[in-house]
Amino acid sequence: MQTENSIFARLTELKLIVVTGKGGVGKSTLTSVLGRLFADAGRQTFLVEVDPRENLHQLLGVPPSGGDIVEVAPRLRVQHIEPRTILDDLVREKLKVDVVASKVLASPVHKHFTEGAPGLKEAAVFGRILRLLRGHTPRGIPTPDVVILDAPATGHGVSWLAAAQLVADVISSGPIGHLAAEVAAFLKDNQQSGVVVITTGEEMPVQETLELIHSMRIRLNQAPELVIANALYPTLPPEIPAEGEDPLFDLWYSRRQINDSELERLDEGWLGPLAELPILPIEPGPALVGRLSRYLKRELETGS
Amino acid sequence: MNPSDHPLVIVVGAGGVGKTTLAAALALNQAQHGDDTLVMTFDPSLRLKDTLGIHEGEESDEVKVADYDDGSLTASLLDARRTFDRLIDRYAPDEEARRRILTNRFYDHLSGSLAGVLEYMASERLFEISQSGRFGRIVLDTPPTRQALDFLGAPERIVGFLESGALRIALKPWFDARGRFRATAKFGIIGRNVESFFDRMVGLELLRDMAEFFQAFAPLFDGFRERALEVQELLRSSDTLFMLVSAPGPQRVADTLFFARRLKEAGYNLGPVVVNRLHPHLGNDSKAGLPTVGSDQDGRRLLQWLAHRDAQGAAHLRDLLGKSHPVVELELRPDEPTDVQALAQLGDQLRKGIEDNLG
Ligand SMILES: Nc1ncnc2c1ncn2[C@@H]1O[C@H](COP(=O)(O)OP(=O)(O)OP(=O)(O)O)[C@@H](O)[C@H]1O
Ligand SMILES: [Mg+2]
Repeated sequence: MQTENSIFARLTELKLIVVTGKGGVGKSTLTSVLGRLFADAGRQTFLVEVDPRENLHQLLGVPPSGGDIVEVAPRLRVQHIEPRTILDDLVREKLKVDVVASKVLASPVHKHFTEGAPGLKEAAVFGRILRLLRGHTPRGIPTPDVVILDAPATGHGVSWLAAAQLVADVISSGPIGHLAAEVAAFLKDNQQSGVVVITTGEEMPVQETLELIHSMRIRLNQAPELVIANALYPTLPPEIPAEGEDPLFDLWYSRRQINDSELERLDEGWLGPLAELPILPIEPGPALVGRLSRYLKRELETGS
Repeated sequence: MNPSDHPLVIVVGAGGVGKTTLAAALALNQAQHGDDTLVMTFDPSLRLKDTLGIHEGEESDEVKVADYDDGSLTASLLDARRTFDRLIDRYAPDEEARRRILTNRFYDHLSGSLAGVLEYMASERLFEISQSGRFGRIVLDTPPTRQALDFLGAPERIVGFLESGALRIALKPWFDARGRFRATAKFGIIGRNVESFFDRMVGLELLRDMAEFFQAFAPLFDGFRERALEVQELLRSSDTLFMLVSAPGPQRVADTLFFARRLKEAGYNLGPVVVNRLHPHLGNDSKAGLPTVGSDQDGRRLLQWLAHRDAQGAAHLRDLLGKSHPVVELELRPDEPTDVQALAQLGDQLRKGIEDNLG
């Protein structure tokens, strides 16, 4: 049963959830899973992805849509956002005269500025998400209750989270500065936005998760809402064959041992909510997302 | 196609596929075969760091890992900020110019987070060491950028930036001696529009910081630009071979193909493609199609399913690439190879896989 103080109840109060983690650990899969759970719980849910591969579309079983908002299921929508396009839109919006706007857009200064300025693209994506949450949606599309961002893997996990603050620090006036400051304030407000970190039960992802938690605390004075340890090998049965008897079992045994010791390390460094999900023998797609959402629901409904 | 024939091997691939470990294994193997080898790495795991004896913020950049009668292995950890600082030390005409840059607020942000700087710095450092001729072979691990292509494009992006109008505009004295913004009337209509746009978009304060930074940086630009071009040339030369690492599974095949194509289109010399950490076929695995999986708790069945899935992905990749590039499969091991012995074993497997697949 869903208790008042379950992690799931807490997550459903948020308007923005940023899903982050190292490359290939299951961010896109779990963004889809969370989306399913929220939509099933009655929330208007928007999933946003920035990765040009449009993996969310594939996982949810809808064709790539190149930027259009696609309805996947009742209350569940997905959109691919191209940061560059948002910045270009911003230029067009601010420069009402078309000729001037196209000159700015064609200028190498604009190109290099938007490509190179640290944090600018990230801040722009968040800016767009804020507008969605405030009801600036295309005609016929409801205002989302919650947006979940599948944040692409970067060298440093905090870079998506710290981007807006970085931009706001450097650019203190003008529309970009205002936008960045607004986004940074929204991301700091833990009544409205939260972070979910995905890892696997292996050394490097766990190491990076612990480092991410640390730098979130130091640089942003924040903590994740939830850490998900994904793709774990099944727990071992009580009866264990002798080593060398069954090579298949031996591999299972040693990989699960690695999972266990990494989970233990995670447990020591992270005192907040932790959910564990199995690796399932299902190809990526709606079936995998469906099965994983049942597992995750069970994990999240036990309060902690 | 064989890394043993190239003084410079660059290991590329998406994040989390095992580039760092394979770079270390390859380098160790080359050292054992008689080369004085350097492995330059980013971001190794804690245990691999211990094995290689490298740690952040240490005085010495290079650590001798192993010394054989013939050949040796040295490791170095790349640190973007330090390399950048060193570059400025070298190109700054005098102490005053150096100080102005190092204390600029914009530089602080720029060196830490400007897209491509870390990548650029890696190739810059690579160039420096390769010029020195101290090592017979260098193996370079690449940073964990999502598609690792950023790394290769970095020198070109820097040159593009230096040659773009951004620089000219930034170098123009925007502020008078009292720090007031100057009228820009004498510049053409486009220049004025762009400038007033930037003024409105980002405000004068940023422009002031940037202008200051670029002015301080100006004397360095020529050296910088020249160097970026040389680095680019080195990356494309026939001495340099790229080894592409991929995770297993059909899902990653598309990523790997995409990356292989981009590398070749851009004129880089792509060698072996390594599918890393395949679940092995073990036990009495039925070859007749996908094993059915019962309970999610059945680890044996799961591993068979994963072995089948990974083999399919590798076979697909081999179909598509196998004629032009050796595709090497490396199995998932019970433990992560982090000590010297395990790395040596992995290095042997890699060498054998490459030689077998070269036919
Ligand atoms: N629990 C699981 N069981 C089985 N397969 C899984 C599980 N979680 C993820 N996968 C599979 O692992 C692969 C990587 O997952 P996914 O694409 O979600 O990762 P990601 O973190 O978004 O990767 P990237 O960093 O490349 O965006 C996919 O093929 C996905 O279907
Ligand atoms: Mg993804």
